Amino acid sequence: MAVRKIPIAHKATQRQQRMLGISSLLLLGISLYCADLDMKQIAAGMERLPAIGRQLAQLSFTNGGELLRELVTSIVVAFLSVILGVVAALFLAFLVAANTTPNRLFGRVLNAVFVIIRTIPTTIWVLLAVASMGFGPMAGVLGLMFPTVSYLIRTFASQIEEAGGETIEAIRSVGGTWWHVIAKGLLPTLLTAFMATTAFRFEISVAESVILGMVGAGGIGSLLQGYISYYQFADLSLGILMVFFTMFLLEMGTVQIRKRMGRQN
Amino acid sequence: MEPILTIQGLKKQYSAGTWGLNGIELTVQPGEFIAVIGPSGAGKSTLLRCMNRLIEPTEGSVTFLGEDVVHANKRQLRSIRARMGMIFQHYNLVYRSSVLENVLHGRLGYIGSLAGMLGRYPEADKEEAIALLQKVGLENEVYKRADELSGGQKQRVGVCRALAQKPSLILADEPIASLDPKSSKTVMDAIHTNCREQEIACLVNLHQVDYAKAYATRIVGIKAGRVVFDGPVEQLTSDITQYLYEGQEHEMFHKAAI
Repeated sequence: MAVRKIPIAHKATQRQQRMLGISSLLLLGISLYCADLDMKQIAAGMERLPAIGRQLAQLSFTNGGELLRELVTSIVVAFLSVILGVVAALFLAFLVAANTTPNRLFGRVLNAVFVIIRTIPTTIWVLLAVASMGFGPMAGVLGLMFPTVSYLIRTFASQIEEAGGETIEAIRSVGGTWWHVIAKGLLPTLLTAFMATTAFRFEISVAESVILGMVGAGGIGSLLQGYISYYQFADLSLGILMVFFTMFLLEMGTVQIRKRMGRQN
Repeated sequence: MEPILTIQGLKKQYSAGTWGLNGIELTVQPGEFIAVIGPSGAGKSTLLRCMNRLIEPTEGSVTFLGEDVVHANKRQLRSIRARMGMIFQHYNLVYRSSVLENVLHGRLGYIGSLAGMLGRYPEADKEEAIALLQKVGLENEVYKRADELSGGQKQRVGVCRALAQKPSLILADEPIASLDPKSSKTVMDAIHTNCREQEIACLVNLHQVDYAKAYATRIVGIKAGRVVFDGPVEQLTSDITQYLYEGQEHEMFHKAAI
């Protein structure tokens, strides 16, 4: 005897899920067609993989000194861009934050400018800097500064808006000036939060600075780029290992800083 | 006697149709200790903040020692604020700074931007600040960081900051609403005694009617942004308090303890 099955699904949800499934499949099909993937190329690349893996497994220390020097350059580039960025952002954030801006409209216009700067990828900024100043660390510092400053401003400003209210009221109520509010009220209150943000940004900047060497910003990235172009995989693997350990140590360090700074709040 | 503060037709509109204050009339004479009572949302905090323009009033006038507060320019407003102390419900201290530094903030209204930023307070100010702290029983906390103190101690620092301004008027916005009964009494005593001794007029927002009766020379009742009672403590009958807190009777007994 045939038993009629009792439906259990919620009709509208079921319909939505079906629509989602169909449109995903459709998009996948279109993407595959547009990307023009060549199966033969994939197969050939697969065949080469073991050979590349074998070459990468060999470490060569002949260029260790040079790699180390350039790694330091990468870190220095990141460090300089963050330090200069913090100096600029510390001032500008107070002009942007809604509760400290001397003029609402001015604050909003300034904020819009930094939103535009943020939406342009770091790589573009570095390429622009390279185009105007030539290859080298200076272009890296300048190119990294734009996104760094705008990132710091956004984060600092929201920290000011979040934590500032009561302190601002207090200093204003005693007849303090705008500078008093900033220097005597907000900076002491927010210093550790700012430091934690800065440490986090430094970590991101080092990662970016390593990559940006590949587009001409100097540092270890330009060496790695060269090794790949000339199939010097043994040198490349040493470079990758060095970058890996640097990033690993850096993250451990910044996590500690952020934890300590956070706890004091 | 020349009044310290005169408020006429003061109105504050928050958003279209929402009036925080709806035509406040009030005069404060030198040395008066006025308790402003009323239910939550009646406009007590707004009223106090319109006195020193932490909130900009929409309409009406505020005159402080003969000066027009509402139309004062930046410099005049600073000088007016410097002579009006304010005490906050949540103390509003700079918690990462020392207790002494927090009291000295009361002097910022009298010194320039640069001197203030560098913390160059006159030595005489420092001595007076320490003396104030001793007077409220915080002589052992002078160099502690403000966040190490208890609630009652923090509020006493807030009181010292206001007193360090050498003000003619103190505005206290719910100074004891976040404190336990014992600390409440210490803080109210500190405000009351100092205002009496130095002949500072005081406007204090209070949630607790019994505290208002115990300390005030005059009581002002506010309801829906209007003054509905203004008179000496004896005239505040239970009928009037009943009317003030109508529909919100539970608030009257909220934390009622002295």
